[in-house]
Amino acid sequence: MATVTLNNVIKRFGVFEVVHGANIDVKDGEFVVFVGPSGCGKSTLLRMIAGLEDISGGEIAIGGKLVNDVEPADRGIAMVFQSYALYPHMSVEQNLSFGLRMTGNPKADTDRRVKRASEILRINELMKRRPRQLSGGQRQRVAIGRAIVREPQVFLFDEPLSNLDAELRVQMRVEISRLHKELGTTMIYVTHDQTEAMTLADRIVVMRAGHIEQIGRPLDLYDNPDNQFVAGFVGSPKMNFISGRIVGHDVHGVVVELAGQEKTRIAQPLTGAAPEAGSKVMVGVRPEHFGSAGEGDTDLVVRIDVVEHLGGTSFLYARTANGDDVVIQRDAANVPDASEITVSVRKSYLFDEKGLRLR
Amino acid sequence: MSSLSSARLGRSIALHLFLTPLALIWLFPLWMMVVFSTMPDNGIFSPGIELLPHGNFMDNFNNLQRDTDFVGAIGISVSVAVTYTFLSVLLTSMAGWALARYRFVGKGVVVAIILGTITLPYAVVLIPQFIMVARDFKLANTWVALIVPPLFNSLGVLFMRQSFSMMPDDLFDAARVEGVKEWRIFLFVALPLARPMLAALAIILFLASWNNYLWPLLINSQPGSMTAPVALGTLIGLTKVSWGGIMAGAVMLTVPMLVVFVLLQRHFIAGIAAGAIK
Amino acid sequence: MRYQNATAYRFLAPYLLIFAIFWVWPIIDSFMISFQATRTVPWRFAPTFNWGRLIGDPAFFNALKNTLLILVIQVPVMITLALVMAVLLNSPLLKARGLYRFAFFAPVVVGEVAYSAVFRLMFNLNFGIINKLLNSVGLPSVDWFSNVTPAMALIMIAVTWRWAGYNAIILLAGMQSIPEDVYEAATLDRVSKLRQFFFITLPLLKPVIVFCLVLSIIGTMQLFTEPFLITERGGPGGGTETLGLLLYRQGFRSLNFGYASAVAYTMAGLAIAITLVQLWLTREPK
Repeated sequence: MATVTLNNVIKRFGVFEVVHGANIDVKDGEFVVFVGPSGCGKSTLLRMIAGLEDISGGEIAIGGKLVNDVEPADRGIAMVFQSYALYPHMSVEQNLSFGLRMTGNPKADTDRRVKRASEILRINELMKRRPRQLSGGQRQRVAIGRAIVREPQVFLFDEPLSNLDAELRVQMRVEISRLHKELGTTMIYVTHDQTEAMTLADRIVVMRAGHIEQIGRPLDLYDNPDNQFVAGFVGSPKMNFISGRIVGHDVHGVVVELAGQEKTRIAQPLTGAAPEAGSKVMVGVRPEHFGSAGEGDTDLVVRIDVVEHLGGTSFLYARTANGDDVVIQRDAANVPDASEITVSVRKSYLFDEKGLRLR
Repeated sequence: MSSLSSARLGRSIALHLFLTPLALIWLFPLWMMVVFSTMPDNGIFSPGIELLPHGNFMDNFNNLQRDTDFVGAIGISVSVAVTYTFLSVLLTSMAGWALARYRFVGKGVVVAIILGTITLPYAVVLIPQFIMVARDFKLANTWVALIVPPLFNSLGVLFMRQSFSMMPDDLFDAARVEGVKEWRIFLFVALPLARPMLAALAIILFLASWNNYLWPLLINSQPGSMTAPVALGTLIGLTKVSWGGIMAGAVMLTVPMLVVFVLLQRHFIAGIAAGAIK
Repeated sequence: MRYQNATAYRFLAPYLLIFAIFWVWPIIDSFMISFQATRTVPWRFAPTFNWGRLIGDPAFFNALKNTLLILVIQVPVMITLALVMAVLLNSPLLKARGLYRFAFFAPVVVGEVAYSAVFRLMFNLNFGIINKLLNSVGLPSVDWFSNVTPAMALIMIAVTWRWAGYNAIILLAGMQSIPEDVYEAATLDRVSKLRQFFFITLPLLKPVIVFCLVLSIIGTMQLFTEPFLITERGGPGGGTETLGLLLYRQGFRSLNFGYASAVAYTMAGLAIAITLVQLWLTREPK
């Protein structure tokens, strides 16, 4: 088990810089998820930790030891790949033991490790089969098993569940959580799926375009996003953004007028310096933070386009007078019949024109 | 619906009516090779039209063996082709692996050279190659002379490069993370996965070596060191020679390859087609 | 991926070593030899000796003319035939596809010596099956070996027989890599099969066709075995002498390495010119 420290890590491909100075401190035994849209640099960062990509600048330390120039095999890591990367011409057992056999690990120890991994993952029945005779979930288990036999200090997962169907993905997610509890090993996990990030992580690193947007515990990111990107990325359905304009201040704080609805104003307490009146802002409201008319401090008139009934809850897809799309979450019992309704805003976030949170 | 299918039937008949004679014409020389090889010499050079095999193959073969040591030459051809195929598959797949899987300084130059030599006529290197091997290395009439110079093979490298680069990166990265050395990854992961491609390459290389004529003709011209095609070629044009025997030799050179072709047609075609299809 | 110079070159080393010894050095050496008088001992540097002779040598121009003539007639005929074979073999209407494929592809495995011998026998003046068949339908015998035109035709027929199937394999693979749905869409648009061939298959196949053309041209340009064995050392009277044969005779019969090298470089020059034309033909439209 070990810590993983990234200090101002940079990655360049030729003249293109794809990771612009990443600083991350992964604690011993922690489960950290790198999340972001595709192309944000999260996989590149993981591959740099693994040693599969050169580090163009900065330092990476595992267990306090600088590993910039250490071979992948000597970094104490094990990696699970998106495509599983199982050797198609070997049985499950051979797949698990291949690395150890090739590096001259004593046979008895190899056997012990393979046995343990197969027990942890409950794949004893499959040991003689070839990868193509396995289901997607079983292949995934074998891929994880191959990481376990290395008895690494750090597990690296590169989008391990994205090739599985939705149901299996949920099941394997739980499985990986259980594994983390059982082994207690540091794990770094890359995904583009914010649900995976929210459910698995001790801490989440949100990335975009090679920058780290925010690092924090799942609920902290959810409740207290630093910027519009994180606010929009974390949570499902996404946070709604309604354009507005600062019109002044009152006792509650800054007062925002929503575009196209002069009468609808939101007051927000700010601790920092408030932008001057007239500047444009985005008001972010999560679907579940809309209430019935009169419940919050602001009422907003929206036109409903589509209603989705999921059973316990329903989602109302609606549009404001200004044309901003909003999604409103309601209890199934509380879905109005009208095509135009008034909703209140119970809680909201303000973002400035650069997308930074105003607080 | 019925007019549509009758149009299809008409097209199908036209297709077969055109293709069948063409196919027969194409098979004709091979068929005649077999027919000639079973006819006595006075039968070959007689006025009648003979289109069916006779029973004279063994006599012809004995005549051939009298004219030249064809069995010995076949032995050399087989040994050379087997050794060449093994070495060439190894060398070209190693080179193809490096080009497919590593970033290194000078890669562009190496690829350009390989592409360039495809269109360079072999004639350009033939004379100095001959001078070097025969005069400087004094290797004329040896197996080494037959095997080593043709080991440079551009299409084979490009084929293996293509094969290896189509394999998923993760597979090799997974082994790398586990600390497996590069040559072991090549040997135990890459090569086993490339088995169908290696088979295709091996067949093509074996055939090339088996049928190679100009270089063996130049470099191994002593009786006792000739390959089978060269030994057979020396008889063509001689006056007192058994043509039935030459045909028996031609059959012995050709029929085994035809059998291999039929058995491994898929690999064969893959190997030939790979030259052009990226 | 990381830079791995040492590992990469370790894998490349044996191959590059063979290349350096048996290709790089000969290419340079051959160029230098072409500027030397090689029939004196020791060889001496005489820059115009071989090249000067080449320009005025009727044997060279005869070989060049024959080679280009075969090139211009045989290659287009063969590629067209290969294209026809490939299209028809690709037809879903074809039954017993394996048999037809065998018929056209089998010559690919036949060695030059074996088939040269068969063609010599088949085209024999008095006893060859071809003349017998011509006679049986009332046509006169053709003296394939004593007259230049039939001898050239024979060479072209032999080479076409041997290589058409080879090119058909490459073209067929190219056709099969064209996605099926393109044709399905065209069929729904009522585009006839013939028009599909000319407006879909041919344009998409162009790079493959050009590749076949270049390989065939370079192969035919070096033509050696067929005139050597079938028409008996380029007979009649040099009527089927090719550049390959001239090079062989000069280099290995007369041991005139310098002159043969000059011939070789002429072939290389032609090959480079053809390659450049290929690059120009297959260039990406801007």
